[in-house]
Amino acid sequence: MKNEEFYIGWIGSAPDSFAAFIKKYILLLLLIVIVLGVLLSLSQKKFGTGNFEFGTLTQVKGIYFNKPVPNIKVINGKDIWGNANYITVPLIGFGKHGADGTIADIEKEKNISLNGKEVTLKGTLLYNDGKLLMQVDANDQPLVNAASATISADLLPKQKDLGVLDVKGEIVDPKCFFGVMKPGEGKPHKDCAIRCILGGIPPLLKVTDNERKQNYYLIVGPNGEKLNEAVQDFVATPVVLHAKAVKYDDWIVLYVNADNGIQHYSSIKDHYGSLYASCAADCLK
Amino acid sequence: MSASYAAVGWNRQKKIYDWLIFGFCILYLTTFISFTAIFNPEYTFETVLIRSASTLAVLMLHVILSIGPLSRINKKFLPLLYNRRHLGVTMFCIILVHSVFSIMQFHSLSNVNPFVSLFTSNTHFGSLADFPFQALGFFALIIFFLMAITSHDFWLHNLSPKVWKTLHMFVYLAYFLVVMHVMLGVIQYETNPAFIVIIVVGAVTLITLHLIAGTREVRKDNIVYKLNQDGFVMVCDVNDIIEDRAKVFCIDEERIAVFKTQGKLFAVNNVCKHQNGPIGEGKIVDGCITCPWHGYQYLPNNGQSPPPFKEKVCTYDVKLQDTKVWLNPKPYSEGTERPGAVIEM
Ligand code: HEM
Ligand code: FES
Repeated sequence: MKNEEFYIGWIGSAPDSFAAFIKKYILLLLLIVIVLGVLLSLSQKKFGTGNFEFGTLTQVKGIYFNKPVPNIKVINGKDIWGNANYITVPLIGFGKHGADGTIADIEKEKNISLNGKEVTLKGTLLYNDGKLLMQVDANDQPLVNAASATISADLLPKQKDLGVLDVKGEIVDPKCFFGVMKPGEGKPHKDCAIRCILGGIPPLLKVTDNERKQNYYLIVGPNGEKLNEAVQDFVATPVVLHAKAVKYDDWIVLYVNADNGIQHYSSIKDHYGSLYASCAADCLK
Repeated sequence: MSASYAAVGWNRQKKIYDWLIFGFCILYLTTFISFTAIFNPEYTFETVLIRSASTLAVLMLHVILSIGPLSRINKKFLPLLYNRRHLGVTMFCIILVHSVFSIMQFHSLSNVNPFVSLFTSNTHFGSLADFPFQALGFFALIIFFLMAITSHDFWLHNLSPKVWKTLHMFVYLAYFLVVMHVMLGVIQYETNPAFIVIIVVGAVTLITLHLIAGTREVRKDNIVYKLNQDGFVMVCDVNDIIEDRAKVFCIDEERIAVFKTQGKLFAVNNVCKHQNGPIGEGKIVDGCITCPWHGYQYLPNNGQSPPPFKEKVCTYDVKLQDTKVWLNPKPYSEGTERPGAVIEM
């Protein structure tokens, strides 16, 4: 370096050799910024196709049931065998809350019981992978109409015992998973899933089969009671559930005994999406 | 310097620096967001904002942490150092966006306070695979916050440079926390190895740069000066020092700079009162020793900053025998006038 060339920050301009050097470095940084921006954005996992119709309220007419989780059974005509075409729409509340509170408030205010009655509800739909859910928020005045008489017995949910199963999967909260958040599963979303489940949103076991097709199981206690607190430590991590399974119309419900029915399924590999990352984690350990 | 912190001057260089930071940030964010929107159209706005801000901040953190060693390895990097704090504060603002949106997205509208949720939702503090990685981000954020709010020279003086420097060394802890925040967070979810490769390359680059810069310093410091007379140590030949420049000698673990200017030699402590910059790598400008980092100035004969500034460094005795420079490592108290050594022509 020549003696005259000395950089002083508080002087208006840098000596030529410094300015030229820094220009080159800035060009290099420019390249890094663009390459990293492109590379990182393209390396993200594909986002799910879930949808949350934020800001759009839809009226849905169906039969309300409070078991296995609050839901309405929406009947839409008959299929070719003359059976009712229906979809069971689990209900969830606003934010990270279940629907139970909102429904209980409505029942108290109107002094009615909604279970087994035809109702029209207004709420926000969310859906993915053939499943439809609805958010009911007290601020939206969700109850539009409720019939006074209970429905006939043939419309009650059809139950079928599937025996005791061992199923390996991940416990997620259906609200985020089916539409509100992307990703709504896995480690990055773990805290939020716990929050939602502790807030009353029914826990759901997501199971991926060998063909990468996903199946979903609602989780309740052995007698159909809520099991939200008990699963806190098992959310968003590989688990195996050992439970009685019952098909409830178009959902399968697992009756899980929290004391011995849930187990961590733990090998580092299952905690990582990428083989490289799991190797690195193994080394770290 | 101490009297000037009331008004921060925004000269041309600072303006260019700030515009470049701004331009690069916008460029990165638009690149990330638009590529995500085009190639991953099912994205949600919150996620793409959270991710573009966090990755940008981590990139900036690498740039910030490499400026120190780079400018020790090559002086030409010094212009980056002068305004490093602007880079730091900008990085904090960007990571604040990530943090606030993450807390809103993952913890708000729930049955507990978001900050309670941050620490009580996932309580697997004893597990590596299930570790609550968000808490690590939170602590890193606190460190960046403290650094950002104390970045002004006002705090440097009020906290004393020593405390300030110590606080700002916590950036390395914050960096470690961030790496773990990513390793135990998204990297467990993502399937593309690019993420882990980038994190590892970043860490290896930073460690290598610090090692190179560090070993150079250590090598310099380990030179032993043998010839010893009445407390004076022979350090070099007078012709080894360039006019208006200095050479630095480490004697008894003290670094001392010997400057040559206008036919005289003067010795002062090498550590700048501002942020411990290497005064001896500075230059005499308008009769003052000027620190290469941020341009603090000291008079060579007494180690005092010219009025109205109040910084002072220790001075030392230096003498010449023939062309050999002899230095006494015993310091005089800060700001003590010394006659220096006259160079006979
Ligand atoms: C209160 C503080 C913080 C919280 C709550 C937080 C939360 C999160 C969450 C939830 C994710 C996963 C998001 C996703 O699904 O992609 C994440 C990822 C990440 N965080 Fe943080 N974070 C915090 C602070 C920080 C800080 C200070 C940094 C670094 C300077 C940082 C850097 C990153 C990076 C690089 C990622 C991976 C890319 C991404 O997914 O956004 N975070 N953080
Ligand atoms: S360290 Fe900042 S001017 Fe010397």
